[in-house]
Amino acid sequence: MKVQISNGMFMALIINMIYAKAIGVTQGSMAREVGGDIWISTLIATIQGGVIMFLVILVIRRMPEGDLIDQAARLLGKWFGKFVALITFIFFLASYGPVMSTFVFHLKDYFLPEAPILLFIMAAFLLGTYAIYFGVEVIARMALIGVFSIIALNILLMLGSLSEFDIRELRPTFQMGFLRTVWASRHHNTDWAMATIMAGIILPMVADKKSWGKMGFAGIGYGMVFIIMWPILEAGVLSPETAAQYIVSCMQMARSAQIGYFIHRYEMIMIAFFALSILTQIMMSLLCASVAMQKMLGLKDYRKVIIPTAMILSAFGYWINFDKNRAIDFLEGWWVYISLGVAVGLPFLILVMGFLFKKKLKKENVAEEAN
Amino acid sequence: MKRHLKWSLLLILILLLSGCAGKRELNDLALVMAVGIDKGEEENAFKVTAQIARPADARGQTGAPSGQTGEPILTIVGQGESLFDAIRDLSSFTTRNVFWAHNQVIVINEDLAKEGIAQVIDFFTRNPELRMRTWVVITPEKASTLVSTVTGLEVIPGEAVNKLFRYGEISNVAPNSQIMDVQAAYLSQSSQPIIARVSLKEVMVSNKKPEKGPTIKQVDLAGAGVFQEDRLVGVLKPEETRALMLFTERLKSGVVTTPCKSKPERTVSVELRDQMFQVTPHIKGSEISFTAEYDAFAMVVEAGCPFSIDDQEQVTKLEQAVEKKLKKEIDTTINKVQKEYKTDVFELGKVFHNEYPGYWKQIADDWEEVFPTVDIKVSVNVEVKDSVLLWEETNSGKKENSAN
Amino acid sequence: MTAVEEKDHFFRDLQDNENLMTEILGSSVDLVKRRITFHEHKNVQAICYYTDGLVDVIQIELFISDLLYKGNWLLQHSTLPTGPPLTLLKEHMLTNASFQVVKEVSQAVDGILSGVAVLILDGSDEVFVIQTKGWEKRGVDEPQTEQVVRGPRDGFTESIRTNTALVRRRIRDPKLRIEQMNIGKRSKTDVNIAYIEDIVKEGLVEEVKKRLRDIKIDAILESGYIEELIEDAPRSPFTTVQSTERPDKVASSILEGRVAIFVDNTPFVLVVPSFFWQFLQASDDYYSRFMTGSFFRAIRYLAFVLSLTLTSIYVMLVSFHQEMIPTQLILTIASGREVVPFPVLLEALLMEISFELMREAGLRMPKPVGQAVSIVGSLVIGQAAVQAGIVSPFMVIIVALTGIASFAIPNYAASFSIRLIRFPLLIAAGTLGLLGFSAMFALLAIHALTLRSFGESYLAPATPFQPNDQKDSIIRFPWWKMQTRPEGVTGDEKRVGDHQFPQPPNTDPYSKEGGKGKEKDQKDGSRRKKTRRIIKLKGEDEE
Repeated sequence: MKVQISNGMFMALIINMIYAKAIGVTQGSMAREVGGDIWISTLIATIQGGVIMFLVILVIRRMPEGDLIDQAARLLGKWFGKFVALITFIFFLASYGPVMSTFVFHLKDYFLPEAPILLFIMAAFLLGTYAIYFGVEVIARMALIGVFSIIALNILLMLGSLSEFDIRELRPTFQMGFLRTVWASRHHNTDWAMATIMAGIILPMVADKKSWGKMGFAGIGYGMVFIIMWPILEAGVLSPETAAQYIVSCMQMARSAQIGYFIHRYEMIMIAFFALSILTQIMMSLLCASVAMQKMLGLKDYRKVIIPTAMILSAFGYWINFDKNRAIDFLEGWWVYISLGVAVGLPFLILVMGFLFKKKLKKENVAEEAN
Repeated sequence: MKRHLKWSLLLILILLLSGCAGKRELNDLALVMAVGIDKGEEENAFKVTAQIARPADARGQTGAPSGQTGEPILTIVGQGESLFDAIRDLSSFTTRNVFWAHNQVIVINEDLAKEGIAQVIDFFTRNPELRMRTWVVITPEKASTLVSTVTGLEVIPGEAVNKLFRYGEISNVAPNSQIMDVQAAYLSQSSQPIIARVSLKEVMVSNKKPEKGPTIKQVDLAGAGVFQEDRLVGVLKPEETRALMLFTERLKSGVVTTPCKSKPERTVSVELRDQMFQVTPHIKGSEISFTAEYDAFAMVVEAGCPFSIDDQEQVTKLEQAVEKKLKKEIDTTINKVQKEYKTDVFELGKVFHNEYPGYWKQIADDWEEVFPTVDIKVSVNVEVKDSVLLWEETNSGKKENSAN
Repeated sequence: MTAVEEKDHFFRDLQDNENLMTEILGSSVDLVKRRITFHEHKNVQAICYYTDGLVDVIQIELFISDLLYKGNWLLQHSTLPTGPPLTLLKEHMLTNASFQVVKEVSQAVDGILSGVAVLILDGSDEVFVIQTKGWEKRGVDEPQTEQVVRGPRDGFTESIRTNTALVRRRIRDPKLRIEQMNIGKRSKTDVNIAYIEDIVKEGLVEEVKKRLRDIKIDAILESGYIEELIEDAPRSPFTTVQSTERPDKVASSILEGRVAIFVDNTPFVLVVPSFFWQFLQASDDYYSRFMTGSFFRAIRYLAFVLSLTLTSIYVMLVSFHQEMIPTQLILTIASGREVVPFPVLLEALLMEISFELMREAGLRMPKPVGQAVSIVGSLVIGQAAVQAGIVSPFMVIIVALTGIASFAIPNYAASFSIRLIRFPLLIAAGTLGLLGFSAMFALLAIHALTLRSFGESYLAPATPFQPNDQKDSIIRFPWWKMQTRPEGVTGDEKRVGDHQFPQPPNTDPYSKEGGKGKEKDQKDGSRRKKTRRIIKLKGEDEE
């Protein structure tokens, strides 16, 4: 039986995929560059994310029965397919670093400062492998709950921090100039890159092919609505300087929120809601990396490579996050180039190849239909 | 599948066994309720006074009888070259882990504040255990004395100070300075921190010797400390603080007392409601100026002389008197801060930045020099609209001619 | 046994038959062999076999007397056509309602053991099987495990026929099918499958039958046997088959397109497929007004969350994340814990286990003693333990609250499984703090997400999200709103008609057409009908 997920689940996956890192770690990186304009950068990045998503949907639509890797293999032969699979694998391997950073920085630094990092990596490994063994449907359904918890988290945070909101911190806009604001959006673009390449892998499993585009953009739209609140609040409540000072600025805000004087801290409730989103990221990274690995090795079932793939990814995640400096450097440096390079380059390459070898694509489509 | 199951079981076991990392039992924690920071005896050293709650004494017996001492708090002092060092020093003589998450107030001695509190800000915002809503206060007394003074109706002094701030809206004599506000102001390019000031004041009457009047010292909100970057440069008296708070916080209420027109020895008090304060920057050539407009409704809460809100003339007179007094108050504070302390705690830089970002860029670096020279015009407008429950004047019925 | 296997048909000779029966049945005291001479002239002998205690003796006497006197007279005086003697007797003489002529030995033997009388006539290789079932039965009683405030008080009994009748009385629909099966090599337990033919999901009945047929076991003593042998997730702590004592619950499940499995000798009837949220729904929800019903349902959801997580959260907060507890509260907790010698985790485990002990002891003891147990338990745990400084008062409150919450879950089996999964959660939270708690919780959540019950997602309709079924999930919509059956139902999806919102005829005294309100509404209704959204069969596509 072919695994299928509904369009709503696909939307939920997109939202969860970008949310966890975008609200905190990304905002910190952007605040260090543009200060109070982080919300503008977030908006700009969302538009760019929409463009890449459009590209991917365009590409997959030409051959809806296979993902990016399959299409590449169809276009230019097996070895090109393997090459694309390798690139995808590297992409998700690299993505695991920032994803684990988000996970570790949220949970370890704010809740269990004395626990070893290895513990967090192992917990992620365990949960990730367990979930992806059951396939994308389970993760997608979890992501659906994740959307509700994201809404709850947003409401909770607003309750606790709106009273401290100061609009003056957001003004004036474009303090650092338009170009720098656009350039800073690259940090948030990396989050979109992850969602996009993930879409490139799982789109063929989405049930209703006609509304892919609609659902993809609805996902982007909702994702933006959920996320945009954070940079605005972070700048307005914490002040841009404070947001820039912290590695995870959203946790700093959660830590400062209070509902009345009795509930003086409730970041734990918020992190419980946040957990589903970050878990979705972990699982999808593992899943996509496993699928890429499977296609690279030419196996039938990706489940056989789950454990080795998860081990490689976990080792990488551990190595990256062992040193906070390395983690942030990677996050703000290498990861940006890798993710944007792949997320823009790969769909574009396949798109162009598709135009060049249009006939091939069609011929085999016809052949397949004849079968 | 079976093998997977075994592996995952093993993994779970390892996870659980390696657990308990960072586990702290509640009975092994010394809950710090307030902390005082003084200059140490040696050069560049810190003296940290921690006020630790004894839960059994602070809350009374809730479970099995535990050795109660009758002393709800334990105050200890540690010394060290850094704050962290001093806190480490504390743990060498406390039997439990010193736990900072429930710290309610950070008290900083003014001598230390004059030298700079950047280190304090850094320490108290870096640690995940600490709350961002902790109150920060400065005091002319020794922080250690202040921290160990039992105050008010609360058993734990830390809680007492916390409540002082919470319900201090009525008195409006000290700003609500939380560590996150101080941090934001310190990090900010355009504004300067202000920190509430407390002192000890003999206000409590001893039950044993009531005839001697108030002899026992209590913690008292006493104005605000004005900072230039992280150094304390001046102190505002309680009555001057209200004007400062107009610039920084949204005030809910305030009371102004003016002498009666008819009987100057008596007074009329009005409570201010719906206070609006709008600061607008202007540039003329290269000259920067600000206008500040103050609007409020007032309600007569006490009248020492017969007063009726029906009497329009009387009301207008009262309004003028209140306006005059308020304007003087604000002008005094502005003068003091601008000319004497020369530090922009009014967040005027921020206002200007919002309005004229282009011009701000040119003067941002020299703002410290520019600020004392800018012209700030204040206009005050108060309307008396309410007299609470009474309509007629409060007059003796015996007098025939009671009107003034 | 061997004789049955070798020979499956009766002999013509009575003596041979008697030998055969003796060989098969042996000599049990409760097996009665009654020899009668049926036709004096021809000296026709007959033997009647039945099991004492399973039969209604009066019925047997009645039919023997029929046979003896009426039969004798009839055979002598009438001019009946000659033919197979048994058929003649059956058609012309005997008055018993249920009556069969049987050739196979095994069928006759099974019959004797299940409470029918078997009459063997000399000279015939066929025997009479006469329904004389009638044993001591417990009357229809109030269900012990699922009590309601408003709703029918009858519960299932140990007799399968009574049980099916209780359901049949609620659904007088010819489409309600009840099919018979026998399971158990030795017990040969009656198992009935009930469903409504044009509502039930396609393929479900076949799947149920297939799973039941595949059961190879010697005996079924309770429906729990079957439950464990057919469920989808045998290794899971969650129950994926619902068991209930309430006929109204079974009836409503059948009406929602599910299949009920009745098992003889137990009042617990199985319903498949089952969904997690069902276990938190009580029959009361549907019988009381929708607002109260929804409120109590919400309370039960709260009870579920509390009983699952409260202890773990408390342990996690007190031993790892003390900064999250409000200052006022933590001082109170700390003052209670001042002299407690155990770590919080151990204290919690201690209390949880003693609570479980108390519950179990109270359950097993005879009723009057059970009360004594609970009094002693509450005294020991509530008072003495706190006084002695072994546990903190706060922990007692937490554990008691958890216990009460777990009692509020209407389904017994589900309440138990929640109690079970509470322990891993507790241990994880107590050793790894937030990480442990969230990881274990996520693990459980993922596990629950993967579960299926007879092809249906266990957590439906929450996830996969089925918008139409939300009318009966968190809040129960009033009946005039809940018009459709749950998703997956194949035919006849609409269960409540249009414009059922009750309205007195003259609703609006100011309207021009006073008194015509109902008609107007009907016009609206017909318009509504046209634009009514067509409900898709595959609900998952609709999200």
